[in-house]
Amino acid sequence: MASAHSLRSFMRPTVSTTPRSLARAFTTTPLQSAAQGKSSLPPQKQVQVSKKHKKPLVRAKAPNPGERKAFRKRIQLSNNSALEVQGTEDLQPDTMLKSEHAGKMFSIPNDMQDKLRTLEAFKTTQSWNLFRKPHILVRQDLVDLMNKLEAAKGNQEALRLVLTGTKLSGKSHALLQAMLYGMMNNWVVINIPEAQDLTNGNTEYTPVPETSDPYEFIQPVYCYKLLTSIYDANKSVLEGLKLQKDWSATTQQKGAGSLADLIQSAREPDWAWPTFMALWQELQLPGRPPVLFALDGLSHINKKSDYRDPEFNPVHAHDLVLVRTFVDALSGKTKLPNGGAVIAATSGNNRQLQPSQELVLSQLEAGQKGDEVPKPDPYEKGYDERVYDALKNSTVMRLEALSKADARVLMEYWGASGMLRRKIDQHTVWSDWALSGHGIVGELERTSLLTIKM
Amino acid sequence: MASFASSLRHIKCHRQLTKGSWQPQLALRSRPVSKVDIRQLSTTEITSPPTDPVSQISIPFQNVNHARQVPKSPSYFSREPRFNDLHLKLFNLLSKYHDLPTLKPADAPQIPWLKLELVRHQLGEDIKASQFSQVMRIARRLNLIEPSVRPPAIDIALRFLSRSVDSVTTFRKVKLVDKHGRAVGVGKRKSSTARAFVVEGTGEVFINGKPLNEAFGRIHDRESAIWALTSTQRMDKYNVWAIVRGGGTTGQAEAMTMAVADGLVAHEPALKTALRAAGCITRDPRTVERKKHGQLKARKGPAWVKR
Repeated sequence: MASAHSLRSFMRPTVSTTPRSLARAFTTTPLQSAAQGKSSLPPQKQVQVSKKHKKPLVRAKAPNPGERKAFRKRIQLSNNSALEVQGTEDLQPDTMLKSEHAGKMFSIPNDMQDKLRTLEAFKTTQSWNLFRKPHILVRQDLVDLMNKLEAAKGNQEALRLVLTGTKLSGKSHALLQAMLYGMMNNWVVINIPEAQDLTNGNTEYTPVPETSDPYEFIQPVYCYKLLTSIYDANKSVLEGLKLQKDWSATTQQKGAGSLADLIQSAREPDWAWPTFMALWQELQLPGRPPVLFALDGLSHINKKSDYRDPEFNPVHAHDLVLVRTFVDALSGKTKLPNGGAVIAATSGNNRQLQPSQELVLSQLEAGQKGDEVPKPDPYEKGYDERVYDALKNSTVMRLEALSKADARVLMEYWGASGMLRRKIDQHTVWSDWALSGHGIVGELERTSLLTIKM
Repeated sequence: MASFASSLRHIKCHRQLTKGSWQPQLALRSRPVSKVDIRQLSTTEITSPPTDPVSQISIPFQNVNHARQVPKSPSYFSREPRFNDLHLKLFNLLSKYHDLPTLKPADAPQIPWLKLELVRHQLGEDIKASQFSQVMRIARRLNLIEPSVRPPAIDIALRFLSRSVDSVTTFRKVKLVDKHGRAVGVGKRKSSTARAFVVEGTGEVFINGKPLNEAFGRIHDRESAIWALTSTQRMDKYNVWAIVRGGGTTGQAEAMTMAVADGLVAHEPALKTALRAAGCITRDPRTVERKKHGQLKARKGPAWVKR
């Protein structure tokens, strides 16, 4: 059978069937002119422009190393596009202590903004960048917290507190307000903004000399960074405090000086940890101001860290000496004789499954309420005694949702800033309050502030 | 025996025996034909056979108008004769009475119209939907005629297209608020079902025991769930406690819309129109289309293969 190709050849001849001589005979052009018109040169091939040839691709300039992260971590505290809110006052040192101020908005003073920024108290997830000036809502439960802080100062006893609550209920925000209160009242404020930075293996660590089983570890670079932030935030307080002991044996501080000088003496990360220890012990001597030691993301320090010891066993987070310092303060092993507070906040989103921590916190909460104390799950093996010991002496404070009145105050502030264009009446407030899960403050922000409704 | 059967074969056809003959004198010769057996060929009565033997000889085709049976209705030869008759009847009524004063459609008396399936079943005819809709259009127009001046013929004609009133009252259930002040509404969407217990309150909503933000992650879904309350501005007056089962988040949220609206109507029946306008009353019939055999999915066919 003939192939398709051969059959096709019958349909359309590839070679012209007309004889060449015959075709030439039909021309009407005279021979001479035809000869003149024709070039004697052979016909030139057309120069084909290659389609593959393209212009060199000009890429936008790639950001320099670290620029992307800086953009991601950027804290913007002011926005000139937002309207200025009239009729709000600056916070005063005792503003947050008074119940009559509950349910009102107050602005954060400018000098405090800088200090809070150096302590990294502002988080990128909070929407400070939408308003002209940072304001806070003084809630009744936080008024109670500030009064506890004030009482801790008077009693010369540490307040040991764990802040919990559902996602977006304002735990980090409460921590910020506590720090704000501390700094306005001349406390020394130390803040570990993300506990996961200490345990996720991203900062350098070296073993403490002459320790084994368990090994203990110093994180010199992180300690150095912490010292810097302590110095920047508490400079005015620390400069007024003279050293009472001689630390020349362990630190670079030779002779007398202030606590600020002590911090300044640690010029390198290698000296950071001994200097921090010296500072921490100096702060517990009599006549010192109260200390607020805060940490965000508690579940990250109640587990085995991502570090390994020389035998390649995982290192428990409590064996990192900086974490140990915090945990000892939280458990009451380190007394704070000048009063003060140790506050740890759990995290709702960046949370590790921590059965031991959950159990202790639920037991503490039930004990505080007078309910039946939950028992450990008999089928769960991983309960950690060290976590229990770290948390057993603390108080649990659960952050509740906003009342409708508080929600209305907040929404009116958003409206006054020009961020909420809708009419704010009872109907809007109540429906947004319901949408936000009965007044979870972050959810309220999501439903009304960050969602455009036409 | 065979010859006997063949001789009687012509009697086998009963029609031959019962058929009225065109020549009665021949029939009489064989057997007297009773009156019952005479088939009526036209609307005129056949006169009884005269007793007089002379007059027995009659001229054929006397008093016979048609040479074959003629049906009563001219629609007999159409596809749907009874339905056609109905169509014509209504059409004639309308052309006769179209000058009478009419009401606005909203004010016309409500008639529970028969559905197409029922009419098909009653008439036993395979009626086309398009033709049925034409008839219904005429019927609705007739129903607009002012009842005080409406001739009874129209009512009689329209009664044929309406269901009995009893079935209407039993069909429509009236939701009530129980002694605890709860109204239970039910809603469905896709494969989700929702039961909402609506009580008077202060705007709290729990779905499967969780507040809205834990029940639905998307803001849009949360808004759908309480849309019946927000669209009627009743968010601050009721509490909702709902049980939702089956389906995904969107389906559950939109089933909630229907359920809350259903419960809300029990408290305030006057809101039904507003809720219908807000899209909370009508069940969305769209669901997953079934897979067909020989196909990979509902519509997707297998890829073409040469051999």
